[in-house]
Amino acid sequence: MWDQVKQALNQSTTKFLTSLAHLLPGIVALIVALLISFVLAWFLAIMVRRLLTSLHFDEWLNRWGFASVAEWSPMNSPTRLVSRTVACAVILAGFLIGIAAFDAESTSLLVRSVFAYIPNIVGATLVLSIGGVIASFLARSVLIGAVNLNLQYARLLSMGVKWLVVVLSVAMALEHLKIAPGIVDLAFGILFGGIVLTLVLAVGLNSKELVTKSLERDGKEASAENIEEPFRHV
Amino acid sequence: MEVDSSPQQPQAKAAQIDSADFVVGVFAGLDRNGITTLCEGLRTLPGSPRIVVLQSDPSGAAAAPNLQAANENSSVSLVPWSVLGLDPTGAPLQSISAACQSLFAATEKMTARACCLIASEMESAAPEWVCRLLQPLLESDCDLVVPYYAPRKLQGLLNSSIVYPLTRCLYGKRIHNPLGPDMGVSRRLAQKLLGTNRNANGGSSQTHPLASLAPVAACENMQICQVHVGARVYPPTDWMNMSSLVAQVLGSIFLELERSAACWQRTRGSVSVPARGEYVYPSEETGTLDVNRMVETFQLGVRDLQEIWGLVLPPATLFELRKLSRLTPEKVHMPDELWARIVYDFALAHRLRTINRDHLLRSMTPLYLAWVVSYARDLETAGAATVEQRIERLALAYETAKPYLISRWRWPDRFNP
Repeated sequence: MWDQVKQALNQSTTKFLTSLAHLLPGIVALIVALLISFVLAWFLAIMVRRLLTSLHFDEWLNRWGFASVAEWSPMNSPTRLVSRTVACAVILAGFLIGIAAFDAESTSLLVRSVFAYIPNIVGATLVLSIGGVIASFLARSVLIGAVNLNLQYARLLSMGVKWLVVVLSVAMALEHLKIAPGIVDLAFGILFGGIVLTLVLAVGLNSKELVTKSLERDGKEASAENIEEPFRHV
Repeated sequence: MEVDSSPQQPQAKAAQIDSADFVVGVFAGLDRNGITTLCEGLRTLPGSPRIVVLQSDPSGAAAAPNLQAANENSSVSLVPWSVLGLDPTGAPLQSISAACQSLFAATEKMTARACCLIASEMESAAPEWVCRLLQPLLESDCDLVVPYYAPRKLQGLLNSSIVYPLTRCLYGKRIHNPLGPDMGVSRRLAQKLLGTNRNANGGSSQTHPLASLAPVAACENMQICQVHVGARVYPPTDWMNMSSLVAQVLGSIFLELERSAACWQRTRGSVSVPARGEYVYPSEETGTLDVNRMVETFQLGVRDLQEIWGLVLPPATLFELRKLSRLTPEKVHMPDELWARIVYDFALAHRLRTINRDHLLRSMTPLYLAWVVSYARDLETAGAATVEQRIERLALAYETAKPYLISRWRWPDRFNP
């Protein structure tokens, strides 16, 4: 009986050691891939940081109206954020390549599905970036136009326009990423409709006084003498 | 002299005229009588030169009656004028710029000695004022003849606040209406402008001929003279499009400023430009002044446009503006020195493209309105004769602040007070 137990133990140990022996090359390959990706990530991060610093990336981002990016960047520097993001991406890619060295079928399926998802991430990032730029530009245009028209709710109008475009961009980005599409569609519809309704009410309620004053003024002008405005600019 | 006014196709009509001594482009909306009196006035010019009058309103030309010949050695030909690239719905400055280009091209084609653009209506409506613009081109070697409109308290405010003092300070010539729009231009100057425009055509920084006339003439040391022409009829203010107007005018001026930086950085002080004709004293104006709306716009601008102005104006200027906005509307008064520095800061930001140029120039509107309020209050109780003195004070403030502009222009990152 003891011989049978010993034999069973020997067999399972042998199986374990054989499986470990099969895994070892994969583990070594993973460690090597990670080491290489760390070195590459460090090198790329330095290059990206130098390039963005020479282009005054932080100042340009501030001028384009993305001052809030600096607030949640490490050391208030969007340049560092970008360089660290690049480094993390390279390390992640190295990790994925490393685990592809394991069992051929399941790990390579995982790696393939991750890499197949990357174009969606790129597309979503592009949509978000362009949406952000357009939102900032439109918000500024509306703000300046509303101030010049002497509208007291200029800032509200500008923020409303900005958030409309941002919400639209986020919904489009989430659609690209194929994340809960049904819920995103519904949430977007409710949010977008809510923002539009808020803006319409704000403009409409504030304009009530303006329209009343305008009607009163028209009435006074019809009965009183015409007072011609004396200013001429060009 | 026969005035040839048969209603032919514009191209066919213009093609028959291969040369002329002068080309007059009438861009103002003159009616039949106006055109007739204009042609009669041109007839009286000494030497009876051959003049081609291009009229942008074809209906006037078609309806004009034949005029009797007075001198068989001269003729005034009336030609319908279709301005290439003119957009009827476009901005006024763009339209006049397109008219200038077309006029210069016609002058070149007809190898005329000079040309003249008429784009304004005058209060007196006498035709002699057009002849006064042509006379210096005829009698002397004048390259640019600019009108000197009778100054009015609250008219031509963009010119008084920015265009005139900036042109005077930068180019050293006291040209009272550098943007015209009525101008007499010699062929030499027109060729120079056509050449400059062709060079700039490939890039995105095409300057407007109207904004370039005075700077090019001053930088090339050409002869400039002014002519007293009386009081101009200014179009009424369109408050809905105020910022578009400001952006248009300042955009072309700042572009020209950038183009001629090498010239104005060498200029020091300013000299008077010879003026012809009798000075027309400004008449007293009546009218109520309602500046509350402009003060409100300024205060709203200080409240909501801080983040935009913060990219353009130094902290000291922003502080002064905040102080001004906290005053009661009756006490809002923008000092000339502050205003001059603001204009220079915006010119620099325009060059550096700190933000989108259209946004930059439109965001200047509340500041401009604050200056208008101060200016209107200064002249409210003063007589019409003090208008010139008031503008002179402003122009001196610009000249005094010129070193500030030069320092910031040369070292925008290092010199930021």
